Amino acid sequence: MPSTVQAESTNTTTTRMVHPLLQQFQQLFFVSKLVGILPQDLEKFRSKNVLEKSRNGAFYMVFTLIIYIILYNLLIYSFGEEDRTLKASQSTLTFVIGLFLTYIGLIMMATDQLTALRNQGQLGDLYDRILAVDERLFREQCVVDNSHISGRIKIMLIMTFFFEISILIATYIKLVDYTQWMSVLWVVSAVPTFINTLDKIWFAVSLYALKERFEAINTTLEELVATHEKFKAWLSGGDPYMDDSHSLDSSQPPPQYDSNLEYLYKELGGLDMGSLKGSGRNKVAPVAHSMNSFGESVQTGQKPQMNPMTVNMAHESELSNATKVEEKLNNLCQVHDEVCEIGKAMNELWSYPILSLMAYGFLIFTAQLYFLYCATQAQSIPSLFRSAKNPIITVIALSYTSGKCIYLIYLSWKTSLASKRTGISLHKCGVVADDNLLYEIVNHLSLKLLNHSVDFSACGFFTLDMETLYGVSGGITSYLIILIQFNLAAQQAKDAIQTFNSFNDTAGLMGAATEMGNESSTTTILYDLMTTTMMTPID
Amino acid sequence: MSPNTWVIEMPATVPHKSRPRRVSPYHNPPVLNDAFGRNARRGQDPLGRSEQPRRPENVVFADIQMILSVLKATGLLPIYEQISMYEVGPPTKSNEFYSFFIRGVVHALTVFNIYSLFTPNSAQLFYSYRETDNVNQWIELLLCILTYTLTVFACSRNAKNILRIMNEILQLDEEIRRQYGASLSQDCGFSVKFLVGIAVSQAYIIVLKIYAVKGVITPTSYILLAFYAIQNGLTATYIVFASALLRFVCIRFQFINKLLNGYTYIQQDKKKRKKGHHQYMEQFSEDSLFIYRMHNRLLRIYKDINECCSLILVCFLGYSFYTVTTNCYNLFVQITAKGMISSNILQWCFAWLCLHTSLLALLSRSCGSTTREANITSQILARIYGKTKENQNIIDKFLTKSIKQEVQFTAYGFFAIDNSTLFKIFSAVTTYLVILIQFKQLEDSKLDDMIEHGQST
Repeated sequence: MPSTVQAESTNTTTTRMVHPLLQQFQQLFFVSKLVGILPQDLEKFRSKNVLEKSRNGAFYMVFTLIIYIILYNLLIYSFGEEDRTLKASQSTLTFVIGLFLTYIGLIMMATDQLTALRNQGQLGDLYDRILAVDERLFREQCVVDNSHISGRIKIMLIMTFFFEISILIATYIKLVDYTQWMSVLWVVSAVPTFINTLDKIWFAVSLYALKERFEAINTTLEELVATHEKFKAWLSGGDPYMDDSHSLDSSQPPPQYDSNLEYLYKELGGLDMGSLKGSGRNKVAPVAHSMNSFGESVQTGQKPQMNPMTVNMAHESELSNATKVEEKLNNLCQVHDEVCEIGKAMNELWSYPILSLMAYGFLIFTAQLYFLYCATQAQSIPSLFRSAKNPIITVIALSYTSGKCIYLIYLSWKTSLASKRTGISLHKCGVVADDNLLYEIVNHLSLKLLNHSVDFSACGFFTLDMETLYGVSGGITSYLIILIQFNLAAQQAKDAIQTFNSFNDTAGLMGAATEMGNESSTTTILYDLMTTTMMTPID
Repeated sequence: MSPNTWVIEMPATVPHKSRPRRVSPYHNPPVLNDAFGRNARRGQDPLGRSEQPRRPENVVFADIQMILSVLKATGLLPIYEQISMYEVGPPTKSNEFYSFFIRGVVHALTVFNIYSLFTPNSAQLFYSYRETDNVNQWIELLLCILTYTLTVFACSRNAKNILRIMNEILQLDEEIRRQYGASLSQDCGFSVKFLVGIAVSQAYIIVLKIYAVKGVITPTSYILLAFYAIQNGLTATYIVFASALLRFVCIRFQFINKLLNGYTYIQQDKKKRKKGHHQYMEQFSEDSLFIYRMHNRLLRIYKDINECCSLILVCFLGYSFYTVTTNCYNLFVQITAKGMISSNILQWCFAWLCLHTSLLALLSRSCGSTTREANITSQILARIYGKTKENQNIIDKFLTKSIKQEVQFTAYGFFAIDNSTLFKIFSAVTTYLVILIQFKQLEDSKLDDMIEHGQST
């Protein structure tokens, strides 16, 4: 491929033109370095915008992880006093689930940090690859704008701080006994979610950047189409031969016939243009000039606001020259593949954190709603879930957690949609150019595009798309229904037994029977029967 | 099949070089040999087999020889004849009769067991206080018998197919060896580990059961227990065998993918940068044809394996699901039971859970990885940018073919088996557990309250 050699020579000049994506990550990197999410070297990042391994950073991260774990356990211990007294009255399932739920936040945080430690070498490579992609895209005159990414990061950071602090302060003021100094430990309860969110901001922003790359490829293809359409309009409007044929035909020429003529025209004119373009970019002016001489009037009539240079460029459609556009399309296709591969690599790096986040989201969402129900029924709930006692705090906490999960799922879905859209854009090129050679190229490339798949999944267990979101929400609903129904049933049974006991005097018999039936489920079933039959008249 | 037959089939390809088949597409054979095969060079001379005229087992299946011999001895696999290094033949009459006889014995034992399950003969095995536990045990036994009987039937029906699959794998290997001088490593060391694990866990479970039964154990119960363990073990062994076969296919897919990977634009760019000449794509049309043929044959083998095992797999998955659920439930009940934790039942549950979870994980992993490798071929092919129209057409043909070709390993068409199956099974188990435990607690809380109130009044 001579073109790559040529492109490589221009590479040195273009490198300066492309700003690395990581430049936008300055604040985020600083914050994440401070709280111990990323072990990479801070100085190198500041000076060169690269993520490099750092031994000290790794030690610092492990240190923070240990501190968090100790503090969190201390928190659970000091706030668990109430739980221990509760345990007797609570059902075992509620207790076990409560214990599991208290620790899942910690598990999630540890997963994030350990994964970041494991990936510290590969993360830098990922951004290097994105930079390489940017350079290649730049060479294809397809510029990706990174500048608004830092704004996006800022918004996300502000949202995170807002949610964390509002949940923390509201809970602290309303529900924690702040007369004791141990209550300050409650601050630690926000650490796991905060760290997790920061980690996910990295993923989300990088994913967003990938989506932008896909969209840039798509827009480049669509622009080719738009330019070619203009070119066609200009040809049909400005070409004297074409005008003649139109008037000869009829008042309304069929489109196919029209395009056929155009194709013929291109065959005639293509030779000239192709030979001129083969020598490089500098020869744009003569082409533009020849075109000008053909269709001056139409040009000025159609787009008078454009300056002459862009108008000339606009009418020099690349799609009219199949051999030349083939290379461009080939390159775009390769870039698309590379972006897909980057997406896969990124998914690989973050697969365990995403899995743990999804598990956390599902469990916490269900638990918070269930405990909200329990709190409204004046039942006891685990002390770490005290935010469920207040509906407003619950709403804030739930929207925070679900917002995180849903945004990631939505973004993954959108990214994979954007990657699939490239095929459509490519076919538009084929349709608008209406050229046999180009059709073949487009067919060939679209077959390739079909095989560039980027589907984001959590360790291969489930894909991150809207279907999964639907499934998860269905799962949450059914679990809630099951839990609440059983809660209701247990409550009713308790009430019924109380009334039953105060109502009749067969207690002695019952006591004797239950001693025997302590281990046998048959007697339990018998007793169920008994209580239900006794209950019916009372109800 | 002579190596030249497929050359003739090639449609209008590049002019042929007169040199013999090249050794490998990598131009540096040592790398390939490191990647695939411990004994790559050994297969180089075609007369290699004449040195050892009667090898006990061919190279391909040497790794799973232990499993094969277990399955052969129990009549699940035919005792085939070793015709040559790369071919196995149908069993001799006496061996066939032996398998037939073993299967007859098995069916007789099954009938006997079912009879004793439905009569009070086996009552002493169901000693638990809780009625539901006993029913569970009983159902488990019945499911195990059902699974094993189905396995035996399916195996006897598919004996020829399995031999055909083995032959095809062997033929494929021979062709690869002839073409590239590489013999693929098998990497099936897991099979032996699993076999030992299965045997140990089954023995352990029997011992646990025998200790748990009160009183003198009748011979009927002994037979029932022993046969139960054997049935479980053999079903599990068969699953491991299926996974090993899938692993073979997976390794061959990987080989193809690695071959193709050498032609992708990234690799080509790298080579170009290193050496600076353009002759690498020349062999592509030749190689691609070989690769397509291999891919098709591998897909066929994959489908054949699926057909042979799918019924057994459905049964096994159902049985496994049931066992995992009941054992998890028992485990939970035992842990939360106040005071009376029986270590016997705990160990029993743990043994079952370990066995079934590891088998499920093995099965879903090998199915998933094979499916992924099979599907990845077209993705790699999409990364090859042929300069000439001809190469592009070759690529297009394969890609077009693979559009609607859904490669997946299904359980009798009910569902596809891969990692997500594992996820689905465990989420279903969780759901059932939550419901069951809730019911249990409802029962318990009623009971507790009755006791409390009964004592207070």
